[in-house]
Amino acid sequence: MKKLFLILIVAFAIPLSVFSASEFTTIEDLNGHDIGVQTAVLYEELIMDRVPNTTFQYYTMPNDMILALTSGKVDAYLIEEVSFGVQKKNHPELTVIEEPAGYINATCIIGENEKQDRLLSELNQFIADSWENGLLDELYDYWIADFDPVNDTCDVGNFTGENGVITVAVEGGYEPFSFISNGHISGFDVDFICRFARAYGYTPEFFEVPFEAIAPGVESGKYDIGMNIVVSAERNETGTLSDVYYTTPIRLVILGDEESDLTFFQQLEQSFEKTFFRENRWKLFVGGAGITLLITVTSIIVGTLLGFVVYMLCRKGNVIINKITNFFLWLIHGMPTVLLLMILYYIVFGSSSLSGTWVSVVGFSLMFACSMIDMLRVGCNAIGKGQFEASRALGYSENQSFFKIILPQAAQHFLPIYRNEVVTLIKETSVVGYIAVLDLTKISDLVRSRTYEAFFPLILTAIMYFVLTAILTRIVRLVEDGIDTKRRKKEKILKGIQEEE
Amino acid sequence: MIEIRHLRKVFDDDTIPLKDIDITINDGDVIAVIGPSGTGKSTLLRCINMLTEPTSGSIIVDGQDITARGCNLNEIRKKMGMVFQSFNLFGHLTIIENIMNPQITLLGRSRQEAYDKAMYLLKQVGLASKVFAYPEELSGGQQQRIAIARTLAMDPDIILFDEPTSALDPSMIGEVQSVIKMLAKSGRTMMIVTHEMDFARKISNRVLFMYDGYILEEGTPKEIFEHPKNEITKRFIQRLSSLTYRIKSADFDMEAMNDELSAYGEKLLIEAVRLTKLSLAFEEIVMNNIVPNTEGEPDVLVKVEYSEKMDILTMMVYYKGEVFDVHSSDSTLFLDLLAEPTTECKAEELEGDALGYEHMIAIKFKWAEEA
Repeated sequence: MKKLFLILIVAFAIPLSVFSASEFTTIEDLNGHDIGVQTAVLYEELIMDRVPNTTFQYYTMPNDMILALTSGKVDAYLIEEVSFGVQKKNHPELTVIEEPAGYINATCIIGENEKQDRLLSELNQFIADSWENGLLDELYDYWIADFDPVNDTCDVGNFTGENGVITVAVEGGYEPFSFISNGHISGFDVDFICRFARAYGYTPEFFEVPFEAIAPGVESGKYDIGMNIVVSAERNETGTLSDVYYTTPIRLVILGDEESDLTFFQQLEQSFEKTFFRENRWKLFVGGAGITLLITVTSIIVGTLLGFVVYMLCRKGNVIINKITNFFLWLIHGMPTVLLLMILYYIVFGSSSLSGTWVSVVGFSLMFACSMIDMLRVGCNAIGKGQFEASRALGYSENQSFFKIILPQAAQHFLPIYRNEVVTLIKETSVVGYIAVLDLTKISDLVRSRTYEAFFPLILTAIMYFVLTAILTRIVRLVEDGIDTKRRKKEKILKGIQEEE
Repeated sequence: MIEIRHLRKVFDDDTIPLKDIDITINDGDVIAVIGPSGTGKSTLLRCINMLTEPTSGSIIVDGQDITARGCNLNEIRKKMGMVFQSFNLFGHLTIIENIMNPQITLLGRSRQEAYDKAMYLLKQVGLASKVFAYPEELSGGQQQRIAIARTLAMDPDIILFDEPTSALDPSMIGEVQSVIKMLAKSGRTMMIVTHEMDFARKISNRVLFMYDGYILEEGTPKEIFEHPKNEITKRFIQRLSSLTYRIKSADFDMEAMNDELSAYGEKLLIEAVRLTKLSLAFEEIVMNNIVPNTEGEPDVLVKVEYSEKMDILTMMVYYKGEVFDVHSSDSTLFLDLLAEPTTECKAEELEGDALGYEHMIAIKFKWAEEA
């Protein structure tokens, strides 16, 4: 009851936050105030000298900054004018400081692989031609200057593909450059690359990757092209960049005076409609939950089996196998999950075509196997040596002793921990968005970036995680009860036996 | 028949619990293995069924060397029962399953056969009512009786008992010992490591005294307990029942004796108060009166005994020469002690004593007045 109450408070607090009139008119006015900026876009470098006392707050998704601004976490944020145009449509209370913070030139980054040289020259040629024939200006007007978030679409088909597939990393939650519309990827970047692909005989395959992961992913050769890379000196050193394909001013967004004229309940209703029914977004949530469930369940099964097999090999007492196992336990346990996944995705499986989903399964299976080994070790060690000796002394073989005497008792010790590990695993899977997997959390991010609404996507996602957790723990609990010998009935213990009177 | 030849075990930490063991166990033998702690008794027992692998030497069971590589130990172990100090019943199984499952898995008996056998044995050990209990719900004595039944269910040729009563409350030792006694009478081959000397004497037909990794002395219970030949055996057997001192000079070291007394008292849980009384009586009777009154070299024998059952601490003083009447003492402290209702003193004349003592004084110290 208390929890529900807290949730309600949060729910009402977000839309009710009071907007105060702006006190900022120049960039210098913001000195000493917090300014939000998107991770890895480096816009802060443009104004750093003019606001020396300012702390910059970094956000992964552009639309999270709107929430940060309206809830008072930052006093302004930096964003391209084009994106601001879109945001302003949904949040009329936003306004900008008149002087632009600077201008950015966006390029594409080309992957470090065998296609690099060819793609670079083809893309530069295409960009040059497009500036020449006005295509880029046309696209800019269509997607940016005159953007209609609901009706604007682009053609993401009709590829001849005679020159093969190119993998393209886009943010995916970044209107109007790349976003999910009606269940399809869309936007300026997407339209531009699709036109390029058609012109040069490629079939593009799009991956939604967080901004900060685009450049590393492309540099490792995982993707052929990464979109929307802002030019900076450092980037040019490490990456191979194409020519500029658009230029746009950077704005400092602050809160203005305008307020929404909708009532609270109208806002809530609109928010609900936007989150779930517009463009059939509920399907995205269902798909995301499916991916999360797939990764979790597969990882639990594979991890459990793998952990068990490795434990049995270690049990034989082979020193080398034990050393190797301990090394991997140390390595995998000592690493943040995101890092392990990124290493697997970009380095270990960097050159393979394994999808992010299956890389996640590999990563989480490894992690779960490590936990499984630990659980088996702790559980079996908790069973005194006497049990093992007694069974050996009776004449049980080593394997019989383990499976008939030790394991059933150890299981009672480690299954409650196992249940917790399952819960942990479900929650940990929420980071797979980093390697372009559209799981529940990532879907929630993408929907939020389209709707500019935080409440329903976040709450719904939380509820779905709760439900998944409840289902899986229930299953483990059933197994637990099933193998608890002490729950058996007398009749079962003496099944098929004529009892003495 | 089990023949053990030149058995030696060196542990990883370089301790050598077994140095050179040679022994033949005949069918029908009931062998008690006694000796101070840490002298390899349990290790010997565990080596016989290869729970502990010997470093060298051989164990030949019915003509087959079980220390040889490739020997099917599981088959050998089915014929050797083992009862552990800590019972080691399988915690996840009921009592009936503890006894049934090994028979079904290892001997291929049908569930019904296994059940009938288990019920028969449970009745024998007096626990037929505990069929569906789990080990943790039973007392130590009950668990040990179940463990014995589990071993018996396998119809072993020999049963090895590794200190079967050491982990039990004193009140439960009896019930387990009586089950083992019953087995001994039925003619089974058994080997028992134990610290209970009375028990060892009563049930066994052979006793091994182990010391420092060797079998120091072997013989019938009568030979070992009443006429031990080896000096170490003698000391071990006697120390358990009493303390003996022979005072042959006026410079007798009372300090050393008091230290030994308090160690003895600690072991047997005798209160310090009574030991102080005993010490006082000793000093007054022996050191202050008998020794100074003796012409020439004194020769006094003092025995201290404690009976756990009766809770009585007794000191007996054997001496020669002039008779000493305890009531003639001029120590008021000692006389007060004698007057206490918990102290009982009596003097006797001895005739034809083997060591030539002529008189005896016995003082008993009880803890409380008898009701």
